[in-house]
Amino acid sequence: MATLTQRPVGEPGNLTAAGLLVPASIFVAIGLLVPIAILFRYSLNAFEPGKLMVDALTIANYVKFFNDPFYLQVLWRTVRVAVACTIFCLLFGFPLAYVLARTQSRFKNLLVMAIVLPLFVGNAVRAAGWMVAFGSKGFINASLMGLGITSAPLEIMYTELAVVIGIIAVNLPFMVLTLQSVIEGIDRNVEEAAFSLGAPPMTMAMRVLFPLALPGILAGVILTFILAMNAYATPVLLGGPKFQTMGPLVFSTFAQQNNWPFGGAVSFILMTATLILTVASSLLIRRRYA
Amino acid sequence: MTKFTKGMDRRTTLKGMGLAAAGALLPAGLGQTASAQAAGRVVVGTWGGDYARLLAKNVEDPFLKPKGFEVVQDQASDAPRRAKMVAERRLPRGTTDIQGLSAAQMFEMNAAGVAEPIDYSKLKNAANIIPIAKYPYGVGHIISGKVIVYNPKLVTPAPTSYKDCFDPKYGNKLGFIDIQYQFVMLAAGLAAAGDMTALEKGKELLLAAKRGGARIYPTNEAFAQALKTEEISIGMMWKARAVQWQNAGIAVEAAAPSEGTMAYVSGFMIPKNAPNKAGAYAYMDAMLEKGAQENFAVDMGFGPTVTNAVVAPDLQKRIGFTEDENKKMRDLDYDFLAKNDAAMKEWWDKVFKA
Repeated sequence: MATLTQRPVGEPGNLTAAGLLVPASIFVAIGLLVPIAILFRYSLNAFEPGKLMVDALTIANYVKFFNDPFYLQVLWRTVRVAVACTIFCLLFGFPLAYVLARTQSRFKNLLVMAIVLPLFVGNAVRAAGWMVAFGSKGFINASLMGLGITSAPLEIMYTELAVVIGIIAVNLPFMVLTLQSVIEGIDRNVEEAAFSLGAPPMTMAMRVLFPLALPGILAGVILTFILAMNAYATPVLLGGPKFQTMGPLVFSTFAQQNNWPFGGAVSFILMTATLILTVASSLLIRRRYA
Repeated sequence: MTKFTKGMDRRTTLKGMGLAAAGALLPAGLGQTASAQAAGRVVVGTWGGDYARLLAKNVEDPFLKPKGFEVVQDQASDAPRRAKMVAERRLPRGTTDIQGLSAAQMFEMNAAGVAEPIDYSKLKNAANIIPIAKYPYGVGHIISGKVIVYNPKLVTPAPTSYKDCFDPKYGNKLGFIDIQYQFVMLAAGLAAAGDMTALEKGKELLLAAKRGGARIYPTNEAFAQALKTEEISIGMMWKARAVQWQNAGIAVEAAAPSEGTMAYVSGFMIPKNAPNKAGAYAYMDAMLEKGAQENFAVDMGFGPTVTNAVVAPDLQKRIGFTEDENKKMRDLDYDFLAKNDAAMKEWWDKVFKA
């Protein structure tokens, strides 16, 4: 006769959980870890034009990157843009997320949809929209000149400003949605308690709201920073050829120059820089507010 | 309480499903190994977009399919396709039969040892091919030239030489295309010293133009947009593109440079390990057919590479070159280009674009 299985959830002794983890684990291993390992191996190879790459075991590609002010400048520019975009996303996103989280309006769902809506449109399409707005005869310049504010078109396209605006527009919904879900979980009473004890709004925010929202701030910052560091379509379309960042550099090294070893090295440097800066910023924020 | 029998319980079922899904993942990539190609199947590597569509319309559908060929297009930009050919070099059977590349890229593939020498006796249209499109390692399909493009309303008198395309007097009305760095640098050499390989002298011209405020656009399309909005008024581009832009209503004229127009030839080569070389030759012959070439001239604005194609005089005037211009047309020094490309690209990125 069959026996009853009355083992509580999560109790070891059966391979159920492991069995369920197998597909995802294999997918991650095959789809992520193996390609990363292969890419790292490629980055240690040598490059000869026409031969794609030559088997070797050298760190020359990494040395080339760090010894060349041009590549260091590209990395620095990428970090600068990513940090600026993340800070602006946090500054713009927090008040918006707070209002969304606290509003009692019956239109709250519509407001959330309005935040999510831009995500329905691809990055390249949104960048194309900005191109129309920023061009020398685009919406902004035509408006400014039409109103007599400027006499000649402003150079917005193919500048750092255009890229920063474009990336903020892409990343802001991620920041807002992440923050909103965390702020919603903070009991409104703790804010009221701070006010009732005489804390002005800023003090309440600094001493109560921000520390409690820290997990959301961290998640939002990490998400937007990683997205900004690895941005491709926006820098290419709004920054133009002169504004070179790491994402497009990886692509051009691989796909235009067919230099896979150096492309592999650039990819790893981008990945490592993103990881280090993400961990560093997380530690910094934790130390500041935790 | 609900009873579940051992071996049939929910957890075991879920576990089984999980393992089954995992098992299903494993052979997913393995089942895709190249199956033996049926006779008459031709795999053609090509750029996507209009070119791929027009190959189907003007070459594959009218000339190959009626003969029973099954044509499969492997669409990608040229760099990954070149990388694939080099990566497959050691395999006895590659995955493509014929590859569409520019003349410079065909040269590079030949230098890398992956191009099958062309046996022109296997091409019934071989006798019609114009000399500039006949390479030992590939055959030209379409031809155009790098000409001066300008807005006739804003640039007077009309430019006549490549040198005009680097003149700082045009300031920020002068535009270059990033992905065309090779031709721009070679044109600068021609303009500065009458020699495409005079890179150093050409660089001086380029830097002077840059100091004057010249703009750089990422793509051909961005350059066209800038011409349309009159952000720029002069630059250089394939004559075929100028025709397409004129058709799109952009105020642009093309002028052949007095230094001699640099030729742009795009064609096809056969990888050494192509599984169906007979099919590849059939494809080449089809692309050289009179009708196919004439339709490409109409649809794309590129000139034919066969002598028997007849292009209407008004179209010929727009897409082609005069007898004198044809005489002065210059083919590129592909060997020089292959050896210097990496250095050229590095200078372009680090110095000119910086």
